[in-house]
Amino acid sequence: MSAFQELVSRYHQKIFMVILGFLRDREDAMEVAQETFFRAFRKIKGFQGGSSFYTWLYRIAVNMAIDAQRRHKRTPLEFRETMDGAFEEQNEVEKDPFSDLHDKELRENLIVAINGLTAEHKAVIILRTIEGLSYKEIGKILDCSEGTVMSRLHYARKKLQVKLKAFLP
Amino acid sequence: MSLLGKRAKRALLFSGILWSFAAFAGAAENASQTVQIKIGAILASNQSDEFDLRLAPLEKQLRLMKYRSYRLLKEESQKVQRKGNATFEIPGGRSLVVTPQESGTKQLALRVHLQQGGKPLLDTTVRLNSGGNFILGGPPHEGGALVISISATAQ
Amino acid sequence: MMRCDDIREVLGAWLDGELRQADAEEVRAHLAGCPSCGEERRQLEGLQKALQDTFHAASTSIAFDSFWRGVERRINQKRFWYEDALGWVRDVWTPPQLAWSVPIAIILLLLGMFSVENFLPGLRTGIPRNNFAAVESIDAFGRNVAVLREDETKTTIIWLYQNQEGDDESTGEKSETSSSF
Repeated sequence: MSAFQELVSRYHQKIFMVILGFLRDREDAMEVAQETFFRAFRKIKGFQGGSSFYTWLYRIAVNMAIDAQRRHKRTPLEFRETMDGAFEEQNEVEKDPFSDLHDKELRENLIVAINGLTAEHKAVIILRTIEGLSYKEIGKILDCSEGTVMSRLHYARKKLQVKLKAFLP
Repeated sequence: MSLLGKRAKRALLFSGILWSFAAFAGAAENASQTVQIKIGAILASNQSDEFDLRLAPLEKQLRLMKYRSYRLLKEESQKVQRKGNATFEIPGGRSLVVTPQESGTKQLALRVHLQQGGKPLLDTTVRLNSGGNFILGGPPHEGGALVISISATAQ
Repeated sequence: MMRCDDIREVLGAWLDGELRQADAEEVRAHLAGCPSCGEERRQLEGLQKALQDTFHAASTSIAFDSFWRGVERRINQKRFWYEDALGWVRDVWTPPQLAWSVPIAIILLLLGMFSVENFLPGLRTGIPRNNFAAVESIDAFGRNVAVLREDETKTTIIWLYQNQEGDDESTGEKSETSSSF
């Protein structure tokens, strides 16, 4: 396995998940994730290790996801049809059927609410929630300060809270 | 990261856009290599009171010469490169050679040589605004005087 | 000493473990004694959980082999030069930064418009308002010549007088000139 193939093997799942957070469609996310690694392959000679490789790679992924999202704007209805497929793959857990329905409704409305955020605010929510990255790491990926990451997260969370008031406990 | 950080690349791209704009503007300034020369040969006389309606745009200028009648004899337009010659045949066996000199797009310098039968009558250099004109007159023709309107526009 | 508004501003960062130790301690102490901020904390934790559940619910593993084949296909695929150029521009100018390129584009457009005469000289029609002409040199080869300039029409007239013996002998013309202006 070549060195680059090794890198793809190590990060492809993470990159795919971040992009899926933006695009919410499996096939689109797959395309963009592959394109991300292709872009990284083309630019890897210029990577001098000034930041960590995965920070650099995430930055490419986030930019491509935002770019793709602007090109493929989806309606909430379309989203529901594709996200149902993703929901089916989750591990089955014993649950109260009513709470299951409530959870599904909450998730759907949450995704719609996230979709209403600007690209910058969506990016911090996704990177923090999906990847659990630190503010410092998020700042490096998005080329902004930790303070900016903090205020964007605060704003995004406030906005989501307002929109989901009826659903949150 | 690559040799150029994103800020540097952005600055480079923006500088490139500005430079292209400046180069284009500069090129537009310098690359006005072609000049359109338009001449109108006019017979000014007192033999009638007729005013050729084709000369309406020049009426105010022509009336300065106090003739009663003005008739358009010939109108011709030529595109010429700077330092190139535009030769016009003028009624009465005359010829007019106009040579644009090196200048910008807003102002032009024209070297004008009027001759008759191989003999030079007038040699002058006139600086004028692009799109403007000046009048050359005096040589006798058909009982009146020949008046030539010369205009030039940088392309 | 932070007030409730200040506490709520940093509550998310506190939950994320991103505050400095001193600030984190202050937040913890405030929450212990403030039911209102405590409620805010509970709601924020609920949102965090909902977010994690939502994203992890969509979690799906992807097979590496098929993924790698897609990447490899792209690497081996021939690309047109403009696709690379477009990719470079996209990479340099990400959508969030496009906002400030708009006013710059407007400025460039305005500059271009003010210089429109340079680019579209044909737009000008008729005698320009400032129809100024200056005679830089003149040689009438021994004949009398007058240069006149009329202010109202901004007209420059070069008038060539014929000599007494006149070149008109060659043309056989008699002229009736009116030399009054």
